[in-house]
Amino acid sequence: MAQTALQSGVANTPDDTLEAFDISVHFEGLAAIDNVTIAMKNKEVFGLIGPNGAGKTTLVNVLTGFQKPTQGRVVLGGKDITGWAPHKLGRGGLARTFQAVRLFRDLPVVENLEVAAVGTGLGRREASKRALDILKWMNFEQKAFDQADTLPYGEERRVGIGRALAMSPRFLLLDEPAAGLSDAECDELMGVISRIPDRFECGVLLIEHNMRVIMGVCHRIHVIDSGKTIAEGTPDEIQANPEVIRAYLGSKSEESRA
Amino acid sequence: MSDAAMDRPDTAAVRMVAVVRFFWTPIVLALFGLAAVVIVWASGDGVLARTITDALIRTVLVIGLYIFIGNSGVLAFGHIAFMLIGGYAAAWFTMSPFKKSFALDLPPILANNEFPLFPSAVVAGLLPALVAAIVGIPIMRLSGIAASIATFAVLAIFYTVYSNWDSWTFGASTLVGIPIYVNMWIALAWAVFAMFVAYIYQQTKFGLALRATREDPIAARAAGINIPVQRLIAFVVSAFFMGIAGVLQAHFLGSLIVNGFWLGITFLSLAMLIIGGQRSLTGAVVGVTMVSTIVELLRQVEAGVEVAGVIFELPGGFQELGLAVLMIVILIYRPAGIMGGLEVPWPFGGNRRVLAGGFTIVHAERTPASE
Repeated sequence: MAQTALQSGVANTPDDTLEAFDISVHFEGLAAIDNVTIAMKNKEVFGLIGPNGAGKTTLVNVLTGFQKPTQGRVVLGGKDITGWAPHKLGRGGLARTFQAVRLFRDLPVVENLEVAAVGTGLGRREASKRALDILKWMNFEQKAFDQADTLPYGEERRVGIGRALAMSPRFLLLDEPAAGLSDAECDELMGVISRIPDRFECGVLLIEHNMRVIMGVCHRIHVIDSGKTIAEGTPDEIQANPEVIRAYLGSKSEESRA
Repeated sequence: MSDAAMDRPDTAAVRMVAVVRFFWTPIVLALFGLAAVVIVWASGDGVLARTITDALIRTVLVIGLYIFIGNSGVLAFGHIAFMLIGGYAAAWFTMSPFKKSFALDLPPILANNEFPLFPSAVVAGLLPALVAAIVGIPIMRLSGIAASIATFAVLAIFYTVYSNWDSWTFGASTLVGIPIYVNMWIALAWAVFAMFVAYIYQQTKFGLALRATREDPIAARAAGINIPVQRLIAFVVSAFFMGIAGVLQAHFLGSLIVNGFWLGITFLSLAMLIIGGQRSLTGAVVGVTMVSTIVELLRQVEAGVEVAGVIFELPGGFQELGLAVLMIVILIYRPAGIMGGLEVPWPFGGNRRVLAGGFTIVHAERTPASE
């Protein structure tokens, strides 16, 4: 029953893809992203890592319509969606979270999720049901009727993910979901993220600095530095990649030089 | 709500309780209005009857404002334009051809007819709603202070046009001879209707989506919500009730003057909404009640009150001063208004603290998530 409610709306198919080809974003001449190409599949957890300022959030903004690329194409399930408005992409199956969480603070937790369900075209009753189902799945139904701005930080982040899931997305884009979480909360988060693809039949793009989370849940990892792709591979390959190690260690000394 | 019975069979009584609980806020507010009207009616005090009629018309007005401002969070300064449009439309439709011939030079269909009162009122409310649908298309794309100023510009435009449109509005002069039929019962009926419509709207997915855009526009867009469209829906519904308030006022006073739809009423209506609490329907109604009561008391003291043989009298202008001071005090101590976004609480157990959108709270307590 719950399962069917969650799957209504956009059809999620096993061969669904989200691709970005040759994406470049220039801010007044400076390249925030330079010719980055990524491709991810349904039910895949795809990590996007890189030092601070590497352009990860800018790439997510491009994928979700908040930033128009200077060059390149975004393709969802074979359809060119470059330049679509954010709300249209949301309805089309791309859900995201924000580093700053951005809950609807004055609304109860459950309505935060409902808004997202309603935004993808559900009626109030189905939205209400879906929201409560997801909160239950996240073991959070006891706080369903608390006002969102009364939650502690870690729980806010959890509601942010729940809200994105309430859109029944084809692809879920998580922007640093572990930032500021305790180790215990990180473990719980990893559990939630790794269970998402099967439960919601969607792909997950994960931006994260916490390497334990990244290495623990990602199937493939894409590394960018200063807007450019430097590596892509499985967690084991990435951990052994000298370029990646240099980027992470090197960026520290570059920062101190700047 | 029959929909609440979706998951398990309900008895008629259980369903009845759910309906009452769902509509608890407008029911309580309507009963409050009814009680006030019945008391005044029983007292037979004609002056008080006029005062309460006036307050009920203001209730329609402030609920109209609330539907847009409360749910969208966009402070609009130009809504009195819709009251102006509604009021004059009512005059065009309902004045007798004989009376129209003195002041107005209307096209034959309006000049030679007087239309039935109730349909005229509805059409006179729909006209500003139509205007809102048109001017709203560009304005609803703006945000923050730009949107507020743009709505004020709309008022400035209509105010200027109506002040100079002699053949339709009698210019800046007072237009008299509008049929007088609005009493406290009719004003109450419209106020109750406005309460229910505003409440039902805020429980729909449209109301919920608009409140989300108020809380965080960026997250709302990411959640699939088209902000200009959601704002426009509220703007149009809001304009209808603003128009109806103008219609009621025209048929209550029997006269209209364009100057009456300018800054004075704009400030008063916004003050009522902000003092009561702009984020809940209850706040809107509480604001009207409180401000009307205080203004009326101050007015009486200005006229002179005798207490134990001593006559107290305040200098003129105290009403306005009192209102301004009250607003400042409220803004300092309760920036979210007296109600602070809360609706009438449900007193019979369960989750008592009902926020502006209590749909799921009411719904979910009866239909547990998955079974």
